[in-house]
Amino acid sequence: MFGQVLATEFMKLHRSKAPWATLAVLAMMPLGIALFMWIVREPGRAAQLGLLGTKANLAGLEAAWPEYFYMLTLIFGIGGMLLLAFIVAYLFGREYSDATAKNMLALPVGRHWFAVAKLLVAAAWWMTLVVIVIVEAMAIGLAMELPGFSMGLAATGIVHVLLAAGISFLLAPVVAWIAVWSRGEVAPIAFSLVMLALGNLFGKTGWAEWFPYSIVPLLVGMVADPVDTLPAGSYAVLAGTFAVGVAATILQLRFADNAQ
Amino acid sequence: MPDTAISTRALVKRYRGITAVDALDFDVRRGEIYGFLGRNGAGKTTTIRMLLGLIRPSGGEITVLGRRIRSGEATVFSRIGFLVETATSYPNLTVRENLDIQRRLTGSAPRSVADSIGLLRLGPYANRRAGQLSLGNKQRLALARALLHSPELLLLDEPANGLDPAGIVEIRELLRSLADERGVTVFMSSHILAEVAHLADRIGIVHDGRLIEESSRDELAAKARAFAAGAYTPEERELALLTLDLERYFLARTGEGPKSGDA
Repeated sequence: MFGQVLATEFMKLHRSKAPWATLAVLAMMPLGIALFMWIVREPGRAAQLGLLGTKANLAGLEAAWPEYFYMLTLIFGIGGMLLLAFIVAYLFGREYSDATAKNMLALPVGRHWFAVAKLLVAAAWWMTLVVIVIVEAMAIGLAMELPGFSMGLAATGIVHVLLAAGISFLLAPVVAWIAVWSRGEVAPIAFSLVMLALGNLFGKTGWAEWFPYSIVPLLVGMVADPVDTLPAGSYAVLAGTFAVGVAATILQLRFADNAQ
Repeated sequence: MPDTAISTRALVKRYRGITAVDALDFDVRRGEIYGFLGRNGAGKTTTIRMLLGLIRPSGGEITVLGRRIRSGEATVFSRIGFLVETATSYPNLTVRENLDIQRRLTGSAPRSVADSIGLLRLGPYANRRAGQLSLGNKQRLALARALLHSPELLLLDEPANGLDPAGIVEIRELLRSLADERGVTVFMSSHILAEVAHLADRIGIVHDGRLIEESSRDELAAKARAFAAGAYTPEERELALLTLDLERYFLARTGEGPKSGDA
């Protein structure tokens, strides 16, 4: 039966504009980085661009592959937290905004399967975006002939991007729970924005390794220099956050009032 | 097999101090059409939501098709079709795709999609997106979903919502035939007296969350007639007859009802 639940969750995305919208947003990111790189590489033209040129120079960027991968990791980590929040809020929350949750929850299927299937759809959706945009980013970087490319650097860079994208996903089930608890899409997205701000704040303190929403900014170098490896405690915190999010979503679907 | 399809005992639902359903006891027999009549806010939808396990009772017990309903109950829903309040579907999917989702999740045969489309006369709209349907056709789609897996029990909350008079008559006949020919039990809530009076074998009147009366349709009709004899003015009785005549005339003109003199 779980196979059918999973299949129907994919079917629900048929003709939806949301996957295309998320792809468009994420696909813009490498183009934005490439624009910065181009401005840094062409200081004469950068000066003609005024504020944008100044900001690019202030960022202290070098137009080279290591910096390019650094920026990509940042985008997949931070952007991922927000974009995944949108994806998960859409998958769980729209059952309430479209008032279809009542149809879904009174079927001869355990409610936990819907939570698991939706999270798997979110994971597939997110990983598809990540893979497409990594390919796009590589193509852009190669087309720009950025210096400093090596297969080893590319492999390490891609692993970092995938790690940032994967860790972002561990925070998604809490967003799912907020969507089910609030019966909509607005609260989970607002929650994610607040947590991103708090994550930044805690990231500048000694608690950064222990606060789940600071760990991704810490990994990708948003709050300090990026770290190569996270402490084991951070992985435990992320795993715990994931487990609590999944359990809370299932318990909410199973035991809370699901009125609309 | 027990003779009772639905049984509630001392059923209570409170929301932040407001009692929506108050010590509700009723039984619905297998194969009957039970009309659950009440004003807006009487507790009809809350009761149906509790029967479906969508909300948890604050107290009391519910048994449906011999099974105690608890939060997260799933097994019994393979035998129940339902329509709760507003008819909703996935708006980006077609009628056929919406029904295919129901088919997969109820483990029904592939043929059941076409059958339910035919039963509810949704053929011309089968490939139209649910979000583009009229209110009446959305209601038909919701009923098609409720009937798709050939349930033993139908829980219908305001099933005539959004339907035109011809549609109301059609659904009425469909429900009657399901009860008479297939032995399907129908529990339907409504605030429209005529809808319940036409269809239900027994009628329960709920008010402020309490069942204040329960009778067979004939008993209730007799009580209503006796009450009306003293309570209505001749003008009010004339208006009631006019309404009935208008309904018949409309159905005849639109090709759905009896011709002049048939009735």
